[in-house]
Amino acid sequence: MPVKTATRNNLPSAARQLRQLQAPQQGRLRLALLLALGNTALLIGQYGLLAWLLNQWLQTSINDAFIPTAPRALYFVFIALAACMLLRPVLHYGRERLCVQASLEIRRQLRDRVLQKLARPAAQLAHSDSDGALTSRVLDQVDALDGYLQRYVVQAQLAVLIPLMLLVVTTPFSGLAALLLLLTAPLVPLFMIILGKAASASSRKQLQALSRLGGRFLDLVRGMRTLQHLQATEQAQEQIAQAAEGYRQRTMAVLRLAFLSSAVLEFFAALSIALVAVYLGLGLLGILPWAKASIPVPYTGALFILLLAPEFYAPLRQLGNDYHAKADAEAAMQELAPLLQDEGWQHQGTEPLPGTLPVSIQACDLSVQSTDGRSRLQLPSLHLQAGHSLLIQGASGAGKSTLLQVLLGALPHQGQLLVNGHAFARLELNGWLNGLDYLAQQPRFIEGSLADNLRLAAPQASEARMQAAMAQVGLADLVQQRGLDWPLAERGAGMSGGQLSRVALAQLLLRDRPLWLLDEPTAHLDPDSRRQIHQLLHQLSHGRSLILVSHSSAGLDWVDQRLQLGAPQTENSHA
Amino acid sequence: MPDTDIRLRQLLSSRKGAWGLSLLLGWITLIAVLGLLAISGWFITASAAAGLLVAGAYSFDFFRPAALIRLAAITRTAGRYAERLSSHNAVLALLQDLRCRVFARLAQRPPHAQLSSARQQHRLVADIDLLDRFPLSVIAPWLWASSIVVLLLMFYYWLAPALFYAALAGLLPGWLLLPLLTGQAAARLARMDADKAEERRVFLLHSLQLRIPLVIWQQWQSRQQDFAKLDHDYLQHQARQTTASSRLLLWQHWALAAGFLLMLWAAQPLLLQHQLELPWLVAALLAYLGFYEIVAPLTASFIALGLSQAARDRINPLNQGEAVHTAPLPLHNRPLQLQLHDLQVANAGTQRFNLDLQAGDILVITGPSGVGKTSLLETLAGYMPPLQGQLLLNSQQYEHSSLNGHLGYLPQQFDLFNLSLAQNLRLGIPDTSDAQLWQALQQVALADWARQQPLQLDTPLGEHAVAVSGGQARRIALARLLLRQQPILLLDEPSAGLDSATAGLVLQAVCQHQRKGILIVVSHDIPAGIKRTNRVRQLSMQN
Repeated sequence: MPVKTATRNNLPSAARQLRQLQAPQQGRLRLALLLALGNTALLIGQYGLLAWLLNQWLQTSINDAFIPTAPRALYFVFIALAACMLLRPVLHYGRERLCVQASLEIRRQLRDRVLQKLARPAAQLAHSDSDGALTSRVLDQVDALDGYLQRYVVQAQLAVLIPLMLLVVTTPFSGLAALLLLLTAPLVPLFMIILGKAASASSRKQLQALSRLGGRFLDLVRGMRTLQHLQATEQAQEQIAQAAEGYRQRTMAVLRLAFLSSAVLEFFAALSIALVAVYLGLGLLGILPWAKASIPVPYTGALFILLLAPEFYAPLRQLGNDYHAKADAEAAMQELAPLLQDEGWQHQGTEPLPGTLPVSIQACDLSVQSTDGRSRLQLPSLHLQAGHSLLIQGASGAGKSTLLQVLLGALPHQGQLLVNGHAFARLELNGWLNGLDYLAQQPRFIEGSLADNLRLAAPQASEARMQAAMAQVGLADLVQQRGLDWPLAERGAGMSGGQLSRVALAQLLLRDRPLWLLDEPTAHLDPDSRRQIHQLLHQLSHGRSLILVSHSSAGLDWVDQRLQLGAPQTENSHA
Repeated sequence: MPDTDIRLRQLLSSRKGAWGLSLLLGWITLIAVLGLLAISGWFITASAAAGLLVAGAYSFDFFRPAALIRLAAITRTAGRYAERLSSHNAVLALLQDLRCRVFARLAQRPPHAQLSSARQQHRLVADIDLLDRFPLSVIAPWLWASSIVVLLLMFYYWLAPALFYAALAGLLPGWLLLPLLTGQAAARLARMDADKAEERRVFLLHSLQLRIPLVIWQQWQSRQQDFAKLDHDYLQHQARQTTASSRLLLWQHWALAAGFLLMLWAAQPLLLQHQLELPWLVAALLAYLGFYEIVAPLTASFIALGLSQAARDRINPLNQGEAVHTAPLPLHNRPLQLQLHDLQVANAGTQRFNLDLQAGDILVITGPSGVGKTSLLETLAGYMPPLQGQLLLNSQQYEHSSLNGHLGYLPQQFDLFNLSLAQNLRLGIPDTSDAQLWQALQQVALADWARQQPLQLDTPLGEHAVAVSGGQARRIALARLLLRQQPILLLDEPSAGLDSATAGLVLQAVCQHQRKGILIVVSHDIPAGIKRTNRVRQLSMQN
């Protein structure tokens, strides 16, 4: 979903937000880092002991003058070696568990925060995303942080600390070998940044291309019946083959670059092992041009360095593998930012609703402006008496729905708006919402039985009450035929539009609130059903205050008041 | 037709060459990784031994090992780069093949067996992507690790049988036994993953679809708490999977460490008795340490296997339902005649329909909502079988697939695709000329609109035709049917979303277009644009 650049620029950077997210789990992540460093320390010990032991054996086998170590010391070395080798996997296991737990907790809390934000009506209307896109943000984008939290965070620190540790222990044995490692080391991050940036940018593009390909597939599969009807399945198959082939070629171009970055790392790792090995070997032979007939690094040190050389690059190579995790996490964070930061306007009132029910509503010079300053509603005067009904009509854009959204506490307004003579802005929102019901064109049905759906609106409703409500909306026959346990498919499929509208009215009846705000509840119906529903509303809304937005006035001759938006005055049609 | 089922084993067979190449390259790379370590270890130890002997240093041939070391280093780098490229090339090709195969299979399913929910279709797309785990994360690591473990053990046996047995004690459990023992449980966990993920997704999707009513009904909090439970449940399930891998890695490293220590223990007497030379022992030990990196991927392979199996199991049921390849009904060059004898259809109560329609007839089906107008139309289109009675085209019974080329149907829920305007119109009739497209657009009163678009016929319609209004989309779908010149045309509420002037124009053009065939229109009333001549009949359906 495109987000206005202006709002995006005001947000803290994705990297900073990621750091903020980690704060509550800092303890676990620090401990994980410590375990990994402990692991490296044990590794150094392990290779030190191994080098010492092998040197003992070399000396014994070659040098007759050499005095072998006492067997007890050998045993000791063996036990220490075994301890290192057996303890290291435990530390690694501990690190993985800690990181998994930290990532899990962070993602759970983040998801909770996002959903918490969505609980306010103001936020509900602000996000025009499709439900599918919103679901994918809450699930997929949050889970996209996993790789970063689980692996990258600790690994990024290790990639600096482990090479430093290894440099410190190799320098006393051979300054030159340490220098070889040190000289190649800065090249690694340099290449990683250059290539990694390019790779992550293009890997994002590649992911987009993949989702486009998936979208094309979905688009065609969804319309398979039509494709069959048009005898166009082969044409569609060609479309898919083409899209997939195009995707493959584009992706390979991207991957060539991305793999080059890991090849560079691989190259330095292999090169430094080879250089160190050849240098140390020639040194041991005493045939280095600058150190003839002398041995610059004795065998113990040489073997120790050789063993450690691959470990020097290992954390960097691992980081290179996880580099995309960071790019993924930052991209996900950017997608989530508008959901998290959107504080926006909020209804602030705290007072309970005074007076009797049903309520009366008065407005005077009421206006609403959108965030970019356009006027969304101009209402000079409105007076809805308690228990009366009001029909709002007007061209699209005149602000019909806007008025209802104001009454839902979802939009700020200027001018006077009174409920039972009391300023609406001062009312406590939850209490107010609890006293009304609202019906628009959005679906109100879940996959479940008819009874499940009715109980969504009124959890306490008894079976008898549900049957009575269904009878009131003219669906007694349906209930008799199919029963309240009859399953309703997703979005209410299996019922006609008119029947679904009636079920929605039954929900309203069961919840039984004294104020109904209905926003074009019949716009999707054919004229006939529309008229029937409108007539039904007459009986059902008796004794309630009702505001109804509708294009059509068919079957609505019973309403007490009409308001033509755009026109300045309300007129009392019964006066 | 079980022979068209996807089997994981066969995934590699579609692009044998590409997979073979990438497996070979990966294998060479790993050999070079071990070789670099082993030769380096051998080299410095042999050098040290030669250096200690007074005359040794000058007779020692250091050129060949040094060259081998450099060769291994270069092979390792180049090999890994080439392996990555070729394996990803093969994976993308695999996904391409799978998409085409699954789509072709879906295209053969009879219309009533098509997937209904968008959710299932989404799953299908995601499932295909999961199948690449099998070659990449299961087959390749096992092939590499297994072949290299054999080579390694042969090398040890050649050095000294005692070394072989010691190494075997570590390698056998680390490479084979432990992964096999714990793998089943891990694969089972992974197979459950998709179901749990789906449960969570559906719950959230439904909650978000209903978010406005839920907030007003004060149900959002409790719904969110229920979701939090599901979410936690799923995250725990994922954590269990990673824990299973981590635990296996722990056991594997312990086993490998035990093997390493045993090798050292066994080597000492061999060295003293000069049955083994130290440089070769160092080479053996370093190769063993390098092997850690090669067996580690096996710990996650069973998770990958479980995920691929689950994906396969969800894709394969698409096979059920026989393919439809019915020959089109012959019309025998006889004048067109559509007959309904005592026809009873679903959702229309006990009404029976008797009609005799001939070329030039127009039938308008009217009635309040919920009386089964659409069901009658779907039955006429052959999508639903009649409950009772007979439905005859030129005295022959038919179903949808035998109507190919005879009948055009515009349902209420028509599909336009995320293609250009022209591509949408040309579906099924790829050779239609631009002039014909313009003519059809003219008939549905969209030619002026299309001419105003910067891209004209190439205007993209967007997913779900978001780039055009609902009324325009319906007219584009209608134009697509008109282009096909079919003897029978069924239109469900063709004027929905159109203002009455446009609706009149369009229906007039449709009547003119269909004057030699049969036109059946479902509408709440006889639409403007259809002149009430004696060829126009009204079927008024009642509750």
